[in-house]
Formats: sequence, structure tokens, C-alpha cells
Amino acid sequence: MNDVPRRAPSLPGEIDPFLIEVIRHALSAAAEEMSLVMTRSARSSVLREGGDLSSTITDADGELAAQGRDLPMHLGVMAYTVKHFLKRVPRERLRPGDAWLLNLPDIGGNHLPDVKLIRPIFHHGTLVAFAVNLAHWPDIGGAWPGSYYAEAFDSIQEGLRIPPIRLFTSDGVDREKLDFILANVRGPTEREGDIMAQMAATRAGERRVLELCDEHGADIVTATLARLCDLSEIEMREGLRAIPDGIYRGVDHMDLGGPGGGPAAVRVTIRIEGDEAEFDLSESDDVVTNHYNTTPFVVGSAVAYAARLLSGRDMQQNGGTLRPIRIVTRPGSLLDPGPNKPVVGGNHETSQRIVDAIFRAMEDVVPERISAGGPTTTAVLILSKPCDDGTWKTFFEVHGGGEGARHDRDGCPAVRVHLGNTGNTPVEMIEALHAVEVERQELRGGSGGDGQHRGGDGYAMTYRILAPRMMLTTCVDRMVVPPFGLLGGQNGKPYRLTLVRGEDGSEHAIPGVANLQVRRGDRIIIETCGGGGFGEARHGAALPG
Amino acid sequence: MAVGWLVGIDIGGTFTDVVAIRGRDMRTAKLASRPDAPAAAISDGIAAVGLALEDIANVIHGTTRVTNAIVEDKLPPVALIATQGFSDSIEIGRLRRHELYRLDVPPKRPPLVPAEHRFGVDERMSFQGEVTRPLNEHAIKQAADDVRRSGVRSVAVCLLHSYINPDHERALASALREVVPHVSLSHRVNPEAREFERASSTVLNAAAMPVAVDYIDEILSGSALEGRFQLFHSAGGYASPDVARERPLILALSGPAAGVAGTAALARARGEDTLLTFDMGGTTTDVCLVRGGQIEVSSGRSIGGRPIRQPMAAVETIGAGGGSIVRLTPGGLSVGPDSAGAVPGPACYGMGGTLPTVTDANAVLGLLDPATRLGGTITLDVEGAKRSLAPIADALGKSITETALGVHRIANAAMARALRRVTVERGVDGRRCTLLAFGGAGPMHATGLAREVGIRRIIVPVASSAFSAYGCLLSDMSYTQQRTIRLKGAAFDADALEQTRAEMQDELSRPLLDQGLARADIAMAYVGLARYDGQSEAIAVPFDLPFDHDRFAIDFNRQHHEIFGYAMDEPWVLEGLRVTASRPSGIALGSLESDLHDHAPDTVGHRDCHFDAGGPTRTPCLSRPSLAPGREVAGPAIIVDAWSTTVVPPGWMIESDSYGNLVMREVAP
Repeated sequence: MNDVPRRAPSLPGEIDPFLIEVIRHALSAAAEEMSLVMTRSARSSVLREGGDLSSTITDADGELAAQGRDLPMHLGVMAYTVKHFLKRVPRERLRPGDAWLLNLPDIGGNHLPDVKLIRPIFHHGTLVAFAVNLAHWPDIGGAWPGSYYAEAFDSIQEGLRIPPIRLFTSDGVDREKLDFILANVRGPTEREGDIMAQMAATRAGERRVLELCDEHGADIVTATLARLCDLSEIEMREGLRAIPDGIYRGVDHMDLGGPGGGPAAVRVTIRIEGDEAEFDLSESDDVVTNHYNTTPFVVGSAVAYAARLLSGRDMQQNGGTLRPIRIVTRPGSLLDPGPNKPVVGGNHETSQRIVDAIFRAMEDVVPERISAGGPTTTAVLILSKPCDDGTWKTFFEVHGGGEGARHDRDGCPAVRVHLGNTGNTPVEMIEALHAVEVERQELRGGSGGDGQHRGGDGYAMTYRILAPRMMLTTCVDRMVVPPFGLLGGQNGKPYRLTLVRGEDGSEHAIPGVANLQVRRGDRIIIETCGGGGFGEARHGAALPG
Repeated sequence: MAVGWLVGIDIGGTFTDVVAIRGRDMRTAKLASRPDAPAAAISDGIAAVGLALEDIANVIHGTTRVTNAIVEDKLPPVALIATQGFSDSIEIGRLRRHELYRLDVPPKRPPLVPAEHRFGVDERMSFQGEVTRPLNEHAIKQAADDVRRSGVRSVAVCLLHSYINPDHERALASALREVVPHVSLSHRVNPEAREFERASSTVLNAAAMPVAVDYIDEILSGSALEGRFQLFHSAGGYASPDVARERPLILALSGPAAGVAGTAALARARGEDTLLTFDMGGTTTDVCLVRGGQIEVSSGRSIGGRPIRQPMAAVETIGAGGGSIVRLTPGGLSVGPDSAGAVPGPACYGMGGTLPTVTDANAVLGLLDPATRLGGTITLDVEGAKRSLAPIADALGKSITETALGVHRIANAAMARALRRVTVERGVDGRRCTLLAFGGAGPMHATGLAREVGIRRIIVPVASSAFSAYGCLLSDMSYTQQRTIRLKGAAFDADALEQTRAEMQDELSRPLLDQGLARADIAMAYVGLARYDGQSEAIAVPFDLPFDHDRFAIDFNRQHHEIFGYAMDEPWVLEGLRVTASRPSGIALGSLESDLHDHAPDTVGHRDCHFDAGGPTRTPCLSRPSLAPGREVAGPAIIVDAWSTTVVPPGWMIESDSYGNLVMREVAP
């Protein structure tokens, strides 16, 4: 929860406005470089093909200052990560050359597979900034390969929990700690490569920040970091001021885990007052029975994203964005579940539903700034193959869908939306690397909702299992509650998952949160959602089906 | 027997640059482009350097024709044949959107081929190249019928795993050639894994075929240059018209690659270790790394929002140039990416532009020559430039001069980002590089950009304003191709490598043999694209024949450490093979000792220039030819020639080398 700072941001003028722009370019370049280095040398296909990673630079207090062009979800969470890290690790313990590993959701985190490497940056002995890289590991241990355990009732079942540990010092990697981690995850060789890539990424960020300090002076650089946050705050306040004051309510639902096992509500009440806003999510449902719970940091990330779109203004996304915004969550709800609850799916499913609920709340207020419902799920399928040597080979895949329509255009087919932006794995790479054949990848015609502007179409893929036995994990929401149409537009068709058994051709619906075994010859069919339409269709009727 | 002239002609959006050399003679010219009349543009260019057709031994041509058609989406309709069940993959793509925080723009570009022109064909290969569903005659006939009915003139064929077994694509090709004139096969255009990028490249190639064929035919029929005309390609060499007709996508980076190739030649002549090219034009700036006299080659890039996968010079382009418009933002100022273009142009050109641009800032700072700017076609309106910057200066509470200095600096910061990217990708420390500045505005911004990156040495090459045209002449006729091969480092299959290598050598040598070359005159170069098992991106590791497995492993690990800061004792994979066949041109920079240092007046005059906020500095202007080798001049100074201005601020020294290149170094800290 944030306290609303009442102090007015200082006016521009203390630092040369030209120099601010020069340093802003350099910092953004540094964060982009970090992700570039990471993508090029990482080992897991989810990182190298899908780009499920993000990089940021924060100031010495952990305030987000610059970010790469990565995933809004990660970037929003990292606005909290270093701040909470510093509450656990006093800055006196930090040394030049350190890099700290961390994945605990309650320390400014989101879910266990997203492992952060935090490198403090010292300029002539003074802590000036942090370079942070976050990477999704395709396995972080726990009860089921892929670390999305559907039956989990606590966090410990979800995998290895890493409080802040100093994994690298100026002497290099701490081998014992590294081995301890590798002993608790599946695919240790791949994970080691990923860790080294994260190390290389943060080092690239460090090098650039130090160059900047050498050139302009550390005090100018740190003052600029603070200034950039102020500027985003000014933009956000201007944007909020332009939205009519009022109280706006919106709701959307997760498919599963709510009262009686049915849909779980995410409810938001937005109070706009002058240049400030409150996003009160306390009326959302209680802790859910699956891993769709999530942390207040993820809530902050979702609100930061949605508020920026509502503001209609362009700004650098950083710690200043959230200053005029108060976020309220209720302990015991699925958005503030307390420590040790399973959260793996909530990170990318529930977070997106927060954006949906906010959009629904603002449907009549700023319809031109939002879009109808779309694939607000990461639609994860994980196939893990046991290898002869006792290790596992994991195939982690995400699936987009049709984008929701807008006031002035149709939705785009087959994309990722809002907080997510990881890509898919090419069919040729899937087949070369995993015991899976892809039989088709085709658009799902007519899946987009009708309207004055139509929602984009989803697509369908069929995977055939080639190994004797594989473990399948699903994490796909939007199978029950469809993507919404806006202002009279029709809903999009929801996701559908089907298992066709190879032995008898029998078809079985697969739930959105599940772990099951599949065998050679089985087929998994995923049909992804269409986007919602916008406005009533001129021809006055929805398409059949 | 009189030896003919070699003529390099680079046709860009605004200007056509011409450089002609024969022995030690060199002539240059710059004229307005005539994009609608390529044959006339070539003839005009030849005439502009005082030559007639019979004087010419060879014309090497860099063109933006294909690039512009792609960027502006002015490509003819095309059909796509894909493996059944995958004809939508070109539309599904990689799912990612371009803009993270914007809903007002579509998340990705629609495919070039609409659904009604996409056809599935019943066939399938495994990833190991085994046929799992045969392609039968009926399916071939069906595909040909589908394409005929669609009414298009170009078709792209992209079947799954054709990079490892192209049999089915070949089988379709002959039937398709009977129904449409232009057939493009993915295993020919880009024999590498990842179907979306390969299909995107193949579709673009197919769509560009009629464009390239018409263009080349018009030039050849209008100029009688048949047999004496070559086209510059993206990988830094030139290709015959026949090859360019079949694979026009190799022209996608034709112009920028020529400048980079010229840089490589200059590096070899001068013994320069690491150069960064800096080609600043009106709307964009191109930068590229040249190490050890060799162009850095990348496996592809995106042009106009569409992926193109081809071996090409690793040029990074950013949307900042002289014409980039300056705007007030909450943080201060932004520069670009929108540009005032040629029309209305910067405010100081007096052609109706009122929005402030980087060029206007330079005019205010006194860096532009009021008299000879753009060969006298434009009169500089400094007052107009000041008027355009006034609203921004007022809003910031700064003087016009302070604002102009700020704009100049922010443009440099934006360009520095591109420089950092090309060095980081290769694990190179940018500060140790020498900047090679050319293009209209490059020599004006070079010292400022150098400061942002920490570079202390700059070269402004001979013929800097027409350097891409010059680069055309300093390169080899060459053909480059890259193929997925995927050989594991352990239990290495040397026979498979040799077989692929030999196939590629044959394929790439063929057009050179067709030109009448002997096999012995063809130089081959090999690069292995290697990665650790499970990594995605491979890094380029050159090797010689015979292939030495252990040597290669050592080189790979060393380079991996160089780029990423670590290496691992882990299995590696030879993912791909890049092969270049070339005919060395024998043209080197050193041979040019012409009358460059003529009797031009020493000092053209003086100008008041602003290098910092401390007020104007009275700055001598020297004509470029007056800088004889060995004569070092201390900044501040402005060096002018007909087409460009080199700015030497205080703290820098400049001298000319024996080739006519200007070399600047920073002397003050």
C-alpha cells in the first residue's frame, strides 16, 4: 500500500533540461543493453525465444529510474523489488562486485519462477544505483516439473524459495551457493547458463552507469534519476486531472478458485479527485483455492500500467508514475493473501484481470483510451519430459489471442496484450528441441466478438506427443469468463483446451489449472480466445456461433 | 589499351552520389535523385562526372529502390504456399507487440499476404529432414491452380523444415513457374530455421522480384550497360543483375552497406583496428562496426516492421537525422523520429518549413556554411532557424543559442544509443573505437557524438559526402549465404559439414563462374555460427579449411567470453554456416593520390560559431583541399567542401593523410 505524497513536485529548472534528456537516453540504453545481453546468452527457450525477462536500473533507494523495452508486468513489480530488498539487506552489507539473487514473492516479488539478480553499483565507494535483471526460469523446483503445481495449498510446494543471497562477489560466483540452488531445480545445466547470463546483464548495466557518473559526476546522475521520477509524476497528475472527478466501479472474474470453486471476482472502485486517484481493490474475493492469488506488488504493477493508459499521456514509466495514486488491498483477499500462499499463476493471470476490471470501470468515462477484453491470460502450457539421467527437459509455451477492438479500429489477431509480451516458440524450434510435433497453427475464424469494430481472432494449435510419457501443466484463464465486449460490442469466444487420447481418439476437456500425464500419440489442442467487439454492430446482429 | 573508369552510383531518396576512379584519378558529383527514372539517373550520373558510356569499364550501383518499396508498402500482391495447417503462421507471427504502453497503434503490422492468397499444401518434413507426408502430384497441381486463380504474379513457397530438406519446395517450383513469372523459394532466400522469419523474408523477396526486375531491366535497356553493371548488396559486396533479379532481398540494405564496405577498405588501407561508421542523413542515422578491416555481419533485421533474415552488414538505424523535428516534452526536449524531410525541410532552408530541426540548431550555431550549402541550391535562412527555435527557448527560459546547443547535444545522445548497441552486441568497448563520419551531417556532429561515447579519434574519409558511392568501388563482387546445419560439437560429423560446405561453395561460386572467372580466382570465406547447446543465438566464429574441430572450439569459447564475459565447459553446437564467395576487386584506397590537394585558397573566411554556452568563437573556415598532408590545424576550425562541413571544436586537432582522409584527435581532456 502506498502513502500518497502530499508534497508538490518541484518545478523543472535545477538541472539543465538538455542534460536530463542526454542522461535519460543513456540510462534507457543501459537497460536495453542488459536485456540484449541476457537474451543473446541465456539458455532456456522461454528466455531466448520468448524473451520472458526484463531489466531495470533503480536509484540507490530502489526507486525505478529506467527500464528496457521488456514486459510491463515485470517492470512494474521491479518498482518494489529493490526497496523491499533493502529492508532485508541493510545497505552497509552491500559491496562493490556483489550480485544478489532473490525470488521470494513477499520481498517485492511476484512468483517463484521469476528470479531477480540485483547488482549494487558503487561509484568511488558510494552506492549510486542498482542494476536489476529478472528472468523467468522454466523450472524452480517444487512438486511438479515446470513449477506450476495445480494442487498447491502453500508456497513451499511451488518451488525453491530464495531470500536475498549474495551469489556473486568481486571474486566471482560463490560456488557452494550456486550448487545449492542447482541441486533444487530441474535442468541444472540450463539454469546455470541462465544465471551466468543474468550476471552478464547486470554487469553491462553497471558499466554504463559508471561511465555516466565518470562523465557527468555521480551527484548529477543521481539528481537526474530523481528528476526523471518527478517528471513522470507531473505527467501522471496532469493526466488524472483531465479525467472527470468521480467514483467508478468495475468487476471482472477469474475462471476458477472463487466461492464454491466457481469464478473469483476482482473488484475495483476508482476514486478520481483532482490530480490524484485511489484504486481500491478491497472488495475483491477472498484467497482462492488455487494459485491465482497474487502479491500487492503485482497489483501495483497492474494499476501502474492501467493508470498510464487512462491518463492518455506519454511518460517514462518509473517510480514517479505511482506517486499520485493510492492502492488499497484487503489482507486475506486473493490480491493480498499474506505469506506462504500459492501465487504462481496469479502473477500473469490475476494481474491481467485487474487491468480488465479497471477498464470496465472506465468504460463510459474514457472509452477512447481503452480496448475491449482480449487474451488477458498468458495461456501457459508446459510439457516436461523425464530424461534417462533423472533430469527433465521442459517446454514452456505461451499463447496469445485476439486483441479487443477499440473505438477506432478492429482488434489485431494473435497477439499478447497489456502486462504480458512474451513471444511464442517457432514450430521448427519446438520440434527440433522437444519431443513434440505441431500438427497445425491456424487462425480461429469467427472467434473475435462482433461490433462496430470487431475483436481480433484467436488461433488454434495441435501438439502431438512423441515421447512415451510427458507431464502436462496448464495455466490458462479466460476459458469460462469470456473476453468482454465494450459499449455494446459482443464478447469474444473464450479459450478451449482439449486432450485427444491417442489410443482411442476419445476427447477430454482439460481444465485451465491442471497437472496431468500425457502419452505418446496424445494430442493437445488449444483454441485461443477472440477479442471483444467495440460498439454495437451496424448490421445489428452477432455472427452465428 | 585505355583502361576504363569504374563508376560507383548511389541513388538515395534525395541525392544521387557519383564517384568515378581510374588509376589515380578520381571524380565526384552529387545531383538530385530521380527515383521515377532510374535509367536517366544513371546516365545523368555518368555525365555529371564528365564521362561517356564508352569510357566505362564497370558501374556498381547502390539503390534504395527495394528498401523504399518495403518501407512504404508499395509492393505488388503476392501469394504464399505453406505446409497445410500453417498458412496462417505468417499472420500469427511471434505474438509480440511493438509498443508496450500504447493501444492507439495496432500491435503489429498485418502480413503482406492476405488470407485469400495463402494456400496450404499437403506435405510434411520432420526436423531431421525425413519426409513424413509425401508431396504428391495432385497436391502440386492443386497449389499451381490456387496460385493461378489468385491472379498474382509472384508466389513465395515456405514449407516447414525446408532449410534441412528442400525437396518439396523444389518439386513445387517447376509447376509454379508455369503459372506465374516470379517464384521465390524459402530454402533459396534464407535456408535457416524459424518459419515465421523465413516466410517473412521469402514473401518480401517474392514481392520485390517484379520491382527489381523492372528496375534492372529499365536501367540495362536504357543505358547499354549490359555486362558492365552490378548492384551493391546488403552484405557488403556487389552482385550481378541476374542474382539480384532472383533474390532482390539482398538489396534491402544496399546503400548503407556500401558506406560500411568503403569503411572496411579504408580500415585495411590505413591499418585501422576498430572503426565505427557514422552516416548521418536527413531522416535517419546508420552506424556499424568494422573490425580488423572486416564488416560485422548480422543474420537479419527488421525493415518497416517486417523481419528480414539475410546475412547483412550489422547496420543499426535510428530515426534521428538533420531533418528530425525538435519538440518540447515534460523532460526537456525530444528529437525525432519524425522528420521535416526534403519538403518542407528545415526552417533554415526557407522552403516553407517552420518546425525546428537539428539542422536549424546547427544553423544557429554557425556550423552551416551560408554560401555553399547543398551546392548552392539553397540559401541559408539563419533568421528562420532562430524563429523556429524561439518558442522552445521561451518555454525553457533559455536563450536561442543555449537551446540550439541543447538540441545538437540531444541529437548526439540519441545517436550514441545506436553506437552503444552495435558495440555491445559484439563485446567491444566503444571508447576504443575510431569514428568514421560521413553523410551530409556526419562530419558536423562527429565530435559531439564522440564526446557522448568517449571516443577521441575521428576520420572524415575522402569523398565523405559521396562515401557510399565510393564504397561501391572499394568492394568485391561477392555472394554470401547462411544455412542452418546444427552439428553437435561432441561426436562431430565432419562429413556433414564438408558436404554442406561444398554445396554452398558450388552454389555461391556459380554466378562468379558465369561471369567468366576461373575457380582459382574465387576467394572463399567461412564463418561458423556456434552456440552452447540450448542457447538460441549463435555467435560468428570465422574458420579456415581444413576445419579444425579443437581450434574452432577454442575460438568459440574465447569469443563467447569476449562478448558475454563468461565461457562454459559445456557442449556446443555448430548451428549454421555462413559462406562467402568473392572475387577480390584489387581496388584499394592507397591508389588514390590525385589532385585532391590543389591550389584552393587557404582560408575561406571566418565565422562566428558557438561550441559552448560561453559566447561565439571567431572560427576560421578552411577549404578541404587546402589541408595538405602533414599540416595539422588546431580547432576551432571549420573545414568546408562543396557538399559538407567538418566541425573542429576547440580541443581538437585535424590533419589530412596521404589518401585525402581527414583525421581528428582530441587533445584536451
